[in-house]
Amino acid sequence: MSLELITIKMTLAVYSAATALSFVYLAYKDEKWNRWMLNLLGIGIALHLLSFAFRIHSFWQISENRYFLPINTFFGALSYLALAVCAIFFIIESRHRLGILGAFVLPWASLSLGVAVFVASPEISGLVPALQSYWINIHPMVLMSAYAAFGNAFGVGLALLVQEHQIKSRKPIALCYRLPSIEELDNLNYRIIAAAFPILTIGIIMGGVWAENAWGRFWGWDPKETWALITALVYAGYLHMRYLMGLRGKKAIYVSMVGFACVVFTFAGVNFLSELHGYLSKG
Amino acid sequence: MQIVVAGLSHKTAELALREKLSLFSQEEIARKIKDSPIADVVFLSTCNRFEVYACGFKDGADGPEVLLRFFEGLIGKNPDKEDLYLYSGLEAVEHLLKVASGLDSLVVGETEILGQVKEAYEWAKKEGFTGKIGNILFQRALFVGKKVRSETGISVGQTSVASVAVELAQSIFGRLSESSVLVLGAGQMAELMVRHLSSQKTQKIMVSNRTRDRAETLAQNFKASVLPWENRAEALQEVDIVLASTGAPEAVLTKEMVEKSLKNRRGRSLFMVDIAMPRDIEEAVHTLEHVYLYRLEDLEHIVAKNLEGRASEIQKAKEIIDSKTAEMDEWLKALKEGRELSFKHSNRPKMRRIEASQNKGVVNEK
Repeated sequence: MSLELITIKMTLAVYSAATALSFVYLAYKDEKWNRWMLNLLGIGIALHLLSFAFRIHSFWQISENRYFLPINTFFGALSYLALAVCAIFFIIESRHRLGILGAFVLPWASLSLGVAVFVASPEISGLVPALQSYWINIHPMVLMSAYAAFGNAFGVGLALLVQEHQIKSRKPIALCYRLPSIEELDNLNYRIIAAAFPILTIGIIMGGVWAENAWGRFWGWDPKETWALITALVYAGYLHMRYLMGLRGKKAIYVSMVGFACVVFTFAGVNFLSELHGYLSKG
Repeated sequence: MQIVVAGLSHKTAELALREKLSLFSQEEIARKIKDSPIADVVFLSTCNRFEVYACGFKDGADGPEVLLRFFEGLIGKNPDKEDLYLYSGLEAVEHLLKVASGLDSLVVGETEILGQVKEAYEWAKKEGFTGKIGNILFQRALFVGKKVRSETGISVGQTSVASVAVELAQSIFGRLSESSVLVLGAGQMAELMVRHLSSQKTQKIMVSNRTRDRAETLAQNFKASVLPWENRAEALQEVDIVLASTGAPEAVLTKEMVEKSLKNRRGRSLFMVDIAMPRDIEEAVHTLEHVYLYRLEDLEHIVAKNLEGRASEIQKAKEIIDSKTAEMDEWLKALKEGRELSFKHSNRPKMRRIEASQNKGVVNEK
């Protein structure tokens, strides 16, 4: 087994352990679980970066791949996505002390990396000429960073639904007093989406510019393009509802969750539909 | 050396008797103790209990007998057997640890008692009443009181209707420093709730009452403003928390009023607490989105749950107390043999053994 595979499997193990601890922390009010979860998450991110370095090293052994990032495959993309979800959660936690939300966010990172390790193929091959462009270092990275942020917002939205349900039920369990308040979760969800939306938009426009260069057209209604646009429109709808109409709480969260469903479909599902963007078609 | 405690508490004695004892000033009690054979002593006087912990007696006097006479002197007659309890040796140690941990309190696990034990001990120490054993005993009690509360769920969950309401408000809004409160009614319950809320530094409190005079009195006490009764429905647009406790015969806030206000609230949550009988706020408002109506029985239900939760942790607390009582027993035995053990302030019940030479005088006190 290559060093890359060893380190990525270790990363998956560490992320999974951090996820498990986040659930322990949810159940037992003891700060030590939170500390351990964050320590493990930090170790996981470091291991993940190391694994990426190994992957880049072997990727660059093929001369036409030189200085491009290895995210042209499903494996590379899923792995980067998991890394970005964890990194963004780490940043949010360190700024807001919201380790309690780990159980709502980290499972998605573990799942993403788990699919990469157990389902996708880690094989490395030469980039097709169309992808040999500096855009491959920017366009997918920017979009997937936005996706990872939306993944965090999705977790925050789940926590909000749980909290809202607790308080509406009039019989809140102890967890209710440990989760952030409804208003805090609502604001956090909004702020993450408001920050990620422009990144998503920029990523899509960059894709257009690249398409113009590579395929001679800015927009061609390729399924990936269409679904990226739908995703952007749903989140634009959310921001509009939230900011201009003052629509908050459950309904707004449902809309943002539809947005996240679009993200997942754009990222994973469309690969089976799109000739140009499919990881599987190696287009 | 003999640790003895005598006392009476809410569990054993009538309020009248407890009140009688609580009327004595610290100085009076101190003077009476000085005139008695009691030595190395701490006394604890709260509204729920009056206890004297003695760890030594002058001239080899019989501890229990001395304390019985002491209480007789305070009460003015021979105390009833049911009123007074008397423990000696390890039972006394265990009792103190239970008291400090809140196991003997009216509300299990309440934290106030720990502060009271601390104050009582520090006062006694400052006045020179405590000796070696008393010092160690009380320091251990304070340590165990903290440990039990942090390692078991005995102090988890609010146990009063008002504090549960505040906690729920925090689960909805987070810090309450930007929340404003509308209080309908100006009775005792309203005042209690406002006291709890204003301790959270709420941004603004408005009081509205059908008779303006009473609203003004309440408002003055909490730096609140008075809102004309007719304007209460409009105020719903801007407040976050509503406390209703008027004596009105029918609802003073209808679903229609609340629904109308929601249009201008831009989705911000509205927390409503109705502790009036009959109800002040129409039950149907709870079905509106962003509106959370808690009635008195909902709050009481949460209090009952929290108390149940605390009660289920009593066994765990007792286990800690048992192990700490055993540790104290070891310490006392060693002291008798002229050795002094030192307690390690960690979670492990092990003790470091240190030979002490200069404490033999204390050991042979009795």
